[in-house]
Amino acid sequence: MSEPILELDGLSKVYPGGLKALDDVNLTIRKGEIFALLGPNGAGKTTLIGAVCGLVRPTSGTIRAFGHDLATDWRKARARIGLVPQELSTDMFEPVQRAVAYSRGLFGLAPDPVRIEEILRSLSLWDKKDERIMALSGGMKRRVLIAKALAHEPDLLFLDEPTAGVDVELRKGMWAIIDQMRAKGVTVILTTHYIEEAEEMADRVGIIRKGQLIMVDEKEAMMARLGRTEAHISLASPLTELPPALGQYPVELEEGGASLCYRGGDGTGRGKAEVADITKALIASGIDYTGIDVRESSLEDIFVSLLGEEDEQAA
Amino acid sequence: MIGWRSTWSIYTRELMRFLRTAFQSVLAPVLTTSLYFIVFGAAIGGRMPDLGGVDYGAFIIPGLLMLTLLGETTSNSSFGIYMPRFTGTIYELLSAPVGVAETLIGFVGAAMTKSLILAAIILLTARLFVDYSIAHPLLAVLYIMLVAAAFSLFGFILGIWADNFEKLGIIPMLFLTPLTFLGGTFYSIDMLPEPWDTIALANPIVYLVSGLRWTFYGSSDVNIWVSFGITLGFLAACTAVIAYIFKTGWRLRA
Repeated sequence: MSEPILELDGLSKVYPGGLKALDDVNLTIRKGEIFALLGPNGAGKTTLIGAVCGLVRPTSGTIRAFGHDLATDWRKARARIGLVPQELSTDMFEPVQRAVAYSRGLFGLAPDPVRIEEILRSLSLWDKKDERIMALSGGMKRRVLIAKALAHEPDLLFLDEPTAGVDVELRKGMWAIIDQMRAKGVTVILTTHYIEEAEEMADRVGIIRKGQLIMVDEKEAMMARLGRTEAHISLASPLTELPPALGQYPVELEEGGASLCYRGGDGTGRGKAEVADITKALIASGIDYTGIDVRESSLEDIFVSLLGEEDEQAA
Repeated sequence: MIGWRSTWSIYTRELMRFLRTAFQSVLAPVLTTSLYFIVFGAAIGGRMPDLGGVDYGAFIIPGLLMLTLLGETTSNSSFGIYMPRFTGTIYELLSAPVGVAETLIGFVGAAMTKSLILAAIILLTARLFVDYSIAHPLLAVLYIMLVAAAFSLFGFILGIWADNFEKLGIIPMLFLTPLTFLGGTFYSIDMLPEPWDTIALANPIVYLVSGLRWTFYGSSDVNIWVSFGITLGFLAACTAVIAYIFKTGWRLRA
C-alpha cells in the first residue's frame, strides 16, 4: 500500500449557526490514488476540502498532509496542495497566461514560462493564452482554474465538482486530464455528483452524508461487496406461482406473472451465473420465455441504496 | 519567514489592476485637484490673505493632497481585498502558503505605491496653478508614506468588514471625506472661532493635514511630533486589528 499523504483524524466542523457540516471524519489518502468523495448536496464535501485547503477552520480534529500538521506547519503542506473550486472564481479581466503565472508566484515558485506553456498546452489553452478569461467559454474557464491549480506543481490536487455544468464531451475531456494527472503521480481527490465519473475515474470511493463518512472502500471492492445483478425474464405465458425449481433463487413474479425478476448476486459475477442457471431451470420445467434483460448494479445504485438504508436507519 | 515571491506576486498583480484602470485612476485626481485649484486657489484664493506667510493657493496643497491620499488609499486597499471576497477568488490566496505578512505587504504595498504615484501627480498638477516649495521634502515623503500605509491598512480592514458595496463606500463617503474637509484642508483651524477651534482638535484628520503642512512650510496648527505620533498610533492600531483578523479568520475563513 502507498504511503499516506493526507490524514484526517476526528475532523469536525460546526458552523456558527449550529450546522454540523463535518462530524468526526477519519480518512487517509494514499499517494498516487484518485479518490472520489460522493455525497448529496450539503453532505459536507466542500467543507471537507475547505478544511484541508485553509478555507474553513475546523472545529476539532487534526489534518496532516505530507506529514505536516496543518494547524502548525501549514505553509509546507499548502505549498504542495492544489485546489480547483466548484465555482468559476477567477479574475475575469486577466489574460489566461498571466493568471496562471500569478498562481505559480503566489505559491512561492520562481517564474517558469516553459512550465506554464506546458500546462496550458496540456489543457488545450495555449491558443487562448492572451485572451481575457471573461472571453472564454465555461468549459475553458474551468480548464483555466485547473491550470492555475497545477501551476505550482502540486502533489495533491482537490477537484471540487470538476465537471459540474459541463457537457458530455467536455466531461470526457476532463476525465482525460485527470488521467494525465494520475500518470504523473498526482494524487487527486474529487467530489462529484456524477457517480458515473467516480465509477470511471476513482481508485477508491468515500461516501459522505450529513457530515459523516459512512463508507470508504476500493471502488472494485465496494462494487463487489454491495453490487447486485438484476434480471427481468419476460415469460411466453404468465405464471400464477413460482415454479418449485426456482425456489432456491431470489426471484419473484412481476407484471401479473408475465415477468420473472431476479435480484441477487454480489458483484463478483455470481448473479449472472445464477441467471443462466434460472433460464436452464425454466427450460427444464417447460416454461418458455421471450426475452431477458440483465444488468449489473452501478456505483450509482449502490450509492442510492446506501443513502436509502441510512435514511431508514435514521428514521 | 516571509515568502517574498508570493509577496511580489500579490504586489504586482495589484499594481496591474491599477494600471488596467490607469486612465481613470490618474485622470480623476488630476481633474479634481485642478477644479479645487481653480475654485479655491484662483477664484477665492485671490481674495484670501496669506496664512502664516504662505500664499493661500500654496497653503491648500497639503490639504488637497491629504484629501486625495486618504480617499484613494482607503478605496484602493478596500477594493483590493473586497473584490476577491466578492468574486470568490479569495480562495486562491487563502489556500496558498501565504500569511498575514505576505498579504499585507502585497496589498498594502501596492496601495501605498498607487498613492505615492497619485501624490506625485497631484503635486505636479498643483505646480501648474501655484508656485510652492517643500521645506522638508524627505520628511514630506516619509509622512505621505506613513499616512498611505496607515490608510491602506484601514482600507484593508474596511474591505474585510464590508459585506456589500454600500458598506464599502459608506465609511469613506460619510466619515473620511467630511472629516478631511473639516480637518483644515482649506483653512487653518486658528481661523475658527471658539469653541470650534477646540472642537476641531477632536478630528484626527486635523493632525494629518497639519503634519503634512508642516513638512511643506515648516509651520502648522499642531505640533509635528503629535501628528507623527497619531499617524504611527493609527498605523499600529490598524496592524493589530489585521493581525487579529488573520489569527481568527474573521470574515475570511468559514
